[in-house]
Amino acid sequence: MKIVVCVKYVPDATGDRGFNDDGTTDRESVDSLLSELDEYAIEQALKIVESGVEAEITYLTVGPDDAKDALRKALAMGGDNAIHVNDDDIAGTDALGTSLILAKAIERAGFDLVICGMASTDASMGVVPAMLAERLGVPQVTYLDEVTVEGTTVKGGGTVKGRREGDVATELIEAALPAVVSVTDRTGEARYPSFKGIMAAKKKNVEALDLDDLGIESDQVGLSAAWSIVDTATKRPPRAKGEVVEDEGEGGVQLAGFLAAKKFI
Amino acid sequence: MHFEESDEHRALRAAVGAITDGFGPGYFAEHSRERRPTTELWQALGRHGYIGVNLPEEYGGGGGGLVELAIVCEEVAAHGCPLLLLLVSGAIAGEVLTRFGTAEQKSTWLPRLAAGRGKIVFAITEPEAGSNTHRLATTATRDGDGWLLRGTKQFISGVDEADAILVVAKTGTDPDSGRGRLSLFLVDAADPRLTATPLAIEGSAPERQFTLFFDDVPVSAEQLIGTEGDGLRQVFHGLNPERVTGAALGVGIARYALARAADYARTREVWGRPIGTHQAIAHPLAEAAIEVELAALMTARAAWLHDAGEAMAKAAGEAANMAKYAAAEAAIHAVDAAIQTHGGNGMSRDYGLVPLWGMARTLRIAPVSREMILNHVAQHTLGLPRSY
Repeated sequence: MKIVVCVKYVPDATGDRGFNDDGTTDRESVDSLLSELDEYAIEQALKIVESGVEAEITYLTVGPDDAKDALRKALAMGGDNAIHVNDDDIAGTDALGTSLILAKAIERAGFDLVICGMASTDASMGVVPAMLAERLGVPQVTYLDEVTVEGTTVKGGGTVKGRREGDVATELIEAALPAVVSVTDRTGEARYPSFKGIMAAKKKNVEALDLDDLGIESDQVGLSAAWSIVDTATKRPPRAKGEVVEDEGEGGVQLAGFLAAKKFI
Repeated sequence: MHFEESDEHRALRAAVGAITDGFGPGYFAEHSRERRPTTELWQALGRHGYIGVNLPEEYGGGGGGLVELAIVCEEVAAHGCPLLLLLVSGAIAGEVLTRFGTAEQKSTWLPRLAAGRGKIVFAITEPEAGSNTHRLATTATRDGDGWLLRGTKQFISGVDEADAILVVAKTGTDPDSGRGRLSLFLVDAADPRLTATPLAIEGSAPERQFTLFFDDVPVSAEQLIGTEGDGLRQVFHGLNPERVTGAALGVGIARYALARAADYARTREVWGRPIGTHQAIAHPLAEAAIEVELAALMTARAAWLHDAGEAMAKAAGEAANMAKYAAAEAAIHAVDAAIQTHGGNGMSRDYGLVPLWGMARTLRIAPVSREMILNHVAQHTLGLPRSY
């Protein structure tokens, strides 16, 4: 079978992130990396193969030149090859446009299972997996804490099964393949790339595609075609100084009072 | 010429840094205080192929070279966990065994070293022969097909963690020069005729130092590494990597100290502005940053020259010495400036800088002293008369 894992190259969430004047992501002032939430998707794809399912794993990203770093990291963790969709006209594309590009690239590559992270660590919308499933016309099984694949044959077929933990219930969901799933950060820690993995990644094929290759017109994507745009952004206020309780015999009472006022106790 | 780091080397740095961050400076400080080996970190790095990064692939290694091992050494230190035994087990024993070991010795030891499941430490220094290897008094006397080892070694790191010890001993005397002919032996660290006494060393580190007494320790022909009597030449194939990884360790310690100091200088406010505003704080840190960058460049070059093979051996020796010199000096200046930046907190256990000063200061003495490097440069680089 063929597994496509969608990964995103995002500004480091631990950096001081911001926006450009036109509301698009500022990629200059903060280093970028593979979205941490996508590492869980990669890990689950690798686990599926390690569980004995015969599958080729392809990573797919849409992003600028440097986004190849995200693919290299993913390939160092494992997997077979990657697709990098890169086109100047993509800048400013929203989730709807991104899902179009991803869907076209996935259709072109062929797939039985698409695995996404639950959301990106930058935009954090978490809507792309559902949009992708809709565009590809396949079932979506999202926000899974556990995922397995069963019953696949060389001719395809098979089922993806998962567990979704909700506030009031645990749902066990399954769908016939082909399907799109998204996995949470509770699926289990993602592995570190090994040295052999890093060296092997160098030799794995990364296919470069642009909008022409995917039959997408430039006016279908980009900032001008976006349905969701950043209107304004306000910098997070600096962290306020904490309150220091000086213990002059009444420290315990003061602490309790503070916690009670904040409704912690 | 190009100086851009490859994608693979950047990925190597990132992965080693991430694994080390999973343990962190707190883990290292605790193990240092208790003088307890950092086995968990060592094994985690081993499982991912980073301890044996320089060893041949056919023996479970990464198939890289000293360039990669130096990067590992630098990054663990830069993330707050300097691993001294990488210099000994990874650099000396790994490089010497790969180059001079028999197929059997290699298949016995290299896979264990590569996976981080075993360590080999190194014993050359003696109480009466510090830097003067010609005066080594530990002897290996013929006894049937093998030898008996007799003598004392001092300042031997990590014997308690080791499976075996690579020992340099005298197997004869050159009739012309009167100098000792040396040979290398791999000795079982648990041999009952070997006594290891811990040395009381100031400064905290996870690794212990030992004095070793060899009381007619029997070694077989299978334990001889390389050619009998050719030990001095062979050992230099390990000593240069030790210097290069020592330099990398210094660069890493310095980077860690400077990162802590810069962070402190940006956020610590006295009289309403960050103390980093003041040049008296900023300039010593900036000076150290320059020295560290220069030392890092020389370290990378020295590692590259070693990996380039025999044709570059002379240049590699010179560069390894210069890199070790520069990195030790840079590390001392960086840690000292970092302590000064922290004021009273610089001496506090919470900030963990004083142990780094101890390590940086040690790097001026070991693996080769600053003075011996200056002798080397004076004689070999400048062509001045030999001073000793």
